[in-house]
Amino acid sequence: MFDRAKYAFILPAFLVVLIIGLFPLIYSLTISFMQVRLVPPIPPSFVGFANYIDALSQPRFWSSVRVTFLIAGLAVAVQYALGLALALALNSSLPLGRVYRAAFLFPLLMAPIAVAFIGKMIFHPGVGPMRDLFGLFGYIDPPFQTDPVWATGMLVTIEVWQWTSLVVIILLAGLQSLPRDVYEAAELENATRWQQFWGITFPMLLPISAAVVFLRFVESLKLIDTVFVLTGGGPGIATETLTLYTYQEGFKKFNLGYTSAISFLFLILIVIFGTVYVALIKPQLEKRT
Amino acid sequence: MSAQNAIRRPSHWPVTIFCLIWLLITVFPIYWIFVTSLKSPLAVNGGPTYLPWVDFTPTLDAWKAAFSGDRGDFFGPLTNSVLISVTSAIVALVIGSMAAYALVRFEFRVKLLAAVSFAVIAIGGYVALVHGLGLGKITGLGLSFILAMPTALILNTRNLPGPVLGNGDVVFWFVSQRMFPPIVSAFALYLIYAEMGKVGVPLLDSFVGLVLSYTAFSLPIVIWLMRDFFAALPVEVEEAALVDNVSRLRIFFQIVVPMSWPGLIATFMITLSFVWNEFLNALLLTTSQWQTLPVWLTGQNSYRGDEWWAIAVAAVISITPMIVVAAALSRFMRSGLSAGAIR
Repeated sequence: MFDRAKYAFILPAFLVVLIIGLFPLIYSLTISFMQVRLVPPIPPSFVGFANYIDALSQPRFWSSVRVTFLIAGLAVAVQYALGLALALALNSSLPLGRVYRAAFLFPLLMAPIAVAFIGKMIFHPGVGPMRDLFGLFGYIDPPFQTDPVWATGMLVTIEVWQWTSLVVIILLAGLQSLPRDVYEAAELENATRWQQFWGITFPMLLPISAAVVFLRFVESLKLIDTVFVLTGGGPGIATETLTLYTYQEGFKKFNLGYTSAISFLFLILIVIFGTVYVALIKPQLEKRT
Repeated sequence: MSAQNAIRRPSHWPVTIFCLIWLLITVFPIYWIFVTSLKSPLAVNGGPTYLPWVDFTPTLDAWKAAFSGDRGDFFGPLTNSVLISVTSAIVALVIGSMAAYALVRFEFRVKLLAAVSFAVIAIGGYVALVHGLGLGKITGLGLSFILAMPTALILNTRNLPGPVLGNGDVVFWFVSQRMFPPIVSAFALYLIYAEMGKVGVPLLDSFVGLVLSYTAFSLPIVIWLMRDFFAALPVEVEEAALVDNVSRLRIFFQIVVPMSWPGLIATFMITLSFVWNEFLNALLLTTSQWQTLPVWLTGQNSYRGDEWWAIAVAAVISITPMIVVAAALSRFMRSGLSAGAIR
């Protein structure tokens, strides 16, 4: 009787994830080994790994891999550095602490697509305030849309604006759980605050830092909304991320087999990244404890 | 001297200024769209202007135009977004917290071999049925599932060699769904929905199709968050009820749920914000009738060009509910939600 109750509790969730989450994947996996085109319509045929080999030999695929990892890497590096500095600052008693906590939640809860439109307004070459800001420093009309470096910088900035708060919130929770007596001992030894940071705070925050960096990086790899609205992948394909590339192949060219193949390559890349990351970070964490 | 004192002692001013600058950076874009929504086309196109009444004259024209219906059907996408996000968040919350409760209070033992056999029978059966026997794709998927599920359940009761997966692994299985790039599952879902349409079940551009996809998309988060809340509940009350022969379902809905309102509400709002903000799934799975606000917004932009005042109104409307959610959530954060959410 007990057993039946426990299956009744978990079954609905299990079935929904299985049917909506996993079954389409099986179908799409089989499609990735076939040539399926809607435009022009040709009968599907089994082609083995041809789609995968085709994708791996496309410079455009590799360009989107590079763009995706570059934007995610830059954005997460800045988010972590900035987030740690802000968390340390907010951990000390600061006036308006509660205002900060509320303000930090706004960017997190805003639709990335709305953020993208706000970004488009702010970085607009004619009517955006960024033009005034850069004008102050002597850059007249910075080429946000037309230069690959500026366009990437713009996308990274928006990503940092939206997600740094999440890093702050998580690191702040970590900072508040650190034991106080270690600092008291360090005080007695006359350790400077710089030494205390590198000797105590940073190492003790390492596990939570590793987690938050991983979380943010994997999420950033999925970037599409801002790219879709702001640059459309341009100039050329200089800011085309993997998700956008997959979307373009699927819904502009309707080459379904090939699209399924790149989406699975994307999945494989994330799994490889995750495995390497855990393998690199684990000895570090074990060494400290 | 306490630890926090040691950190906070000198150099107070640079730290405060640094934080204030970041606060300004955080708030400015939000201020900017509010201000832009009050501008006339002329005030927008003349270059950046910052302060109402100082360098431009505010007007409510853009707001009036949005609500009068001049700019196409605006209430359609808004109603869609509300209906879809509220329904999916409720469904995900109910079935997700039930699953989370089960994963906290019961012990699950899944034999690895049974799980593997499920995957092999499901995939192999599908390939054999569809490409070997020439059945329809949906029939093939359905049949292979009906074959695989009982086989795996029966195998699981047998004495199989190999590792046994516990509750932690089941949770990991649920949560790992979130690690998938959404384009992978969204594109796969698009293909399946298209196939379902061919056999007479239209799921593309439908309410049911979107709610199902968002429920599946939200379940990992609900299970992850609610598991921590349930694990923190005292077990004694439930044990007392069990002695009195109260059924598990009644215990859950009449004892556990009333005790977990704060957690349930917080989780509901987080889920709601995810669904409300989601773009990619909606972009792939809708065409016209069930477009949500984010998709409609992009459509309007590419169709009409950069009418910033109108886009600003739509953006303000799309973020207002989330500002309410943020204000409510910031009260929950003190009760350790953030600490629970990161584990």
